[in-house]
Amino acid sequence: MVRLYLPNDTSSRAAGAARLAEVWQERTGIELIRTSARGAFFLEPMVERDMPEGRMAWFNVTPDDLPQILAGKGGTPVNEIPFLRGQTRVTFANFGVTQPLSLDEYRAHGGLKGLEAARTQSPEAIIEEIRISRLRGRGGAAFPVWHKWQVARETEADRKYVVANADEGDAGTYCDRMVMEGEPFRLIEGMLICARAIGADTGYIYCRQEYPAAAHTLRAAIQKADEAGLLQSHGHRLRLEVVVGAGSYVVGEETALLESLEGRRGVVQARPPYPAEAGLHGKPTIVSNVLTFATVSTILARGGEWYSSMGTERSRGTVVLQIGGRVKQPGLVEIPFGATLAEALERFGGGMAPGSRLKAVQVGGPLGSLFPVSKLGIQICYDAFAKAGAILGHGGIVVFDHETDMVELARHYTVFTAEESCGKCTPCRVGSLRSREILERIQAGRGTADDLALLADLGETMKTASLCAFGGRAPYPVLTAIEHFGEEFRRLTK
Amino acid sequence: MDGKSAVSLEVVLDRCRHGPGQQPNILQTLLAVQEALGHVPFNVVGEIARGLEVTEADVAGVLSYYPDLRTHLSGRHLIRICMGESCVANHCSRVLRELRDQLRVDVGETTPGNRFTLEKVYCVGNCAVSPTVIIDDELYGRMIPSQVASLLDQYR
Ligand SMILES: Cc1cc2nc3c(=O)[nH]c(=O)nc-3n(C[C@H](O)[C@H](O)[C@H](O)COP(=O)(O)O)c2cc1C
Ligand code: FES
Repeated sequence: MVRLYLPNDTSSRAAGAARLAEVWQERTGIELIRTSARGAFFLEPMVERDMPEGRMAWFNVTPDDLPQILAGKGGTPVNEIPFLRGQTRVTFANFGVTQPLSLDEYRAHGGLKGLEAARTQSPEAIIEEIRISRLRGRGGAAFPVWHKWQVARETEADRKYVVANADEGDAGTYCDRMVMEGEPFRLIEGMLICARAIGADTGYIYCRQEYPAAAHTLRAAIQKADEAGLLQSHGHRLRLEVVVGAGSYVVGEETALLESLEGRRGVVQARPPYPAEAGLHGKPTIVSNVLTFATVSTILARGGEWYSSMGTERSRGTVVLQIGGRVKQPGLVEIPFGATLAEALERFGGGMAPGSRLKAVQVGGPLGSLFPVSKLGIQICYDAFAKAGAILGHGGIVVFDHETDMVELARHYTVFTAEESCGKCTPCRVGSLRSREILERIQAGRGTADDLALLADLGETMKTASLCAFGGRAPYPVLTAIEHFGEEFRRLTK
Repeated sequence: MDGKSAVSLEVVLDRCRHGPGQQPNILQTLLAVQEALGHVPFNVVGEIARGLEVTEADVAGVLSYYPDLRTHLSGRHLIRICMGESCVANHCSRVLRELRDQLRVDVGETTPGNRFTLEKVYCVGNCAVSPTVIIDDELYGRMIPSQVASLLDQYR
């Protein structure tokens, strides 16, 4: 019996793993182990097996490749794959190795060590460890995690909540999905540590509707964790539930998310009060991103000092990039903060897809700025991006090629923001719609130079007067497109 | 509405009823109704509101807010094409054009024989294997326009 490892991740399945499993299911002599994915999606479907010389991998496998794999021919040692070898895998260290729903394998690969450490510590000591790690939230706003936990801990209440933001709305990002599908116990462990630190007895994972496999895997993992007696917080059973949403980008904003959890329209609420003081049902609530919780367990296991030894002065630890678009090697990259965007693209992106040339790079999702080739020297850390008026967001990097029409791309952003604006504040609701109309006028050849000035004006108003970062950031992709590719716009205006 | 779905609406509302001292969850109720009926027709808003002890405006407000709550039944097969930036960068517009040409409908429309409804979605996390098209529960990656016709043939 030859044991073959085949990822069961959504993207691996879409790349062909589902078909391989279907065809090979019937075969005698092989045992298929369905694992998480390594994140090297350009190589998927990727099949692995243990050989005397170590774990070997076969890339872009088709059903007909089976004889070769069984003969042990033509494989590549996994630890020699350049895309993976160049990374510093911390949160994603076990990806591609373990079976998502095996608690034993999770434990055997270092899982639950953070929780065990936390259970020997006081809540204050846990928060202190997170403070030392200098971990900042990975959902986009990059707020110091320990500080939020401290506020929730110190706010008196009969009930507190811990909520994982699994809305992962930024197009081009999928690391939360990979955590939930690939190592669900890691998210649960992080939430349990947080629950202990702040004194919560109920947790929710708000998972976007577009991730059915993630919700399914999480529910199964929660049940296993419960059966193993893990769902405990300061002596009580922690109630942990997956709640699935119904679309909407803005629902990923924390106050909108809590509205949605309570079943109302997912509309942004003015802050303060912040959720850490008054969140779900008015009680202290920690809303954190999936990746943030997933990082917490390793910090508790290996120490805040160790985690903060990586990265730059104000961006500690590792950054999880998700490289996509027209590059040869799209996939998940975990490296310490501090490399430049150009370096990351060169070392991992592998150059452009055949026949295409790089034109622009967008970082940080649909609200992120566009970078032309000349600006790729920027360092990947919160400070450098803030200084450039850009955002790292959730780590999405999308590469556009020379065939991209920048006016059409700008219009695409305004269609998105006009559709997704929650409508609560006027600058965003009206500004996004007007921007779209102006760009459509320009595209139709009826625009004037004044229209470009008007777009800039509207953008400034939205930046300063919107209620949340959605309206505040919406102008950036459009305005950076005009800034760096202005000729394409001016050509269409008289 | 036929008798069968009327019964199931009642059952659904019964299941979603909130306990004493609890707030009703309108969104989760509407999702449960949609699960049972395939959509949330406007003419059941009143019954849902009464069941949850909220106003009809409360229910209608939530119903209109969330893109995945539908007030009309879709075709037998729902096609969703991703318009997220990774798919856009990989020229999903060409796949969309092919889909439109083949189906002769635009985004948001249903084909005359009720076979397909075409919709768009903003990212499903398959960005590294894009462009992405989803038909019902099946996700297809690395789509190119020339694959569209044979893909549609698999769905009758
Ligand atoms: C329009 C908008 C959309 C957002 N979407 C998400 C999201 O999908 N996932 C997420 O974790 N945070 C999202 N955020 C950030 C959250 O408001 C919040 O800062 C975050 O969940 C806190 O978790 P963290 O401290 O771990 O980053 C969004 C913010 C805005 C303004
Ligand atoms: S952008 Fe299309 S799947 Fe993410």
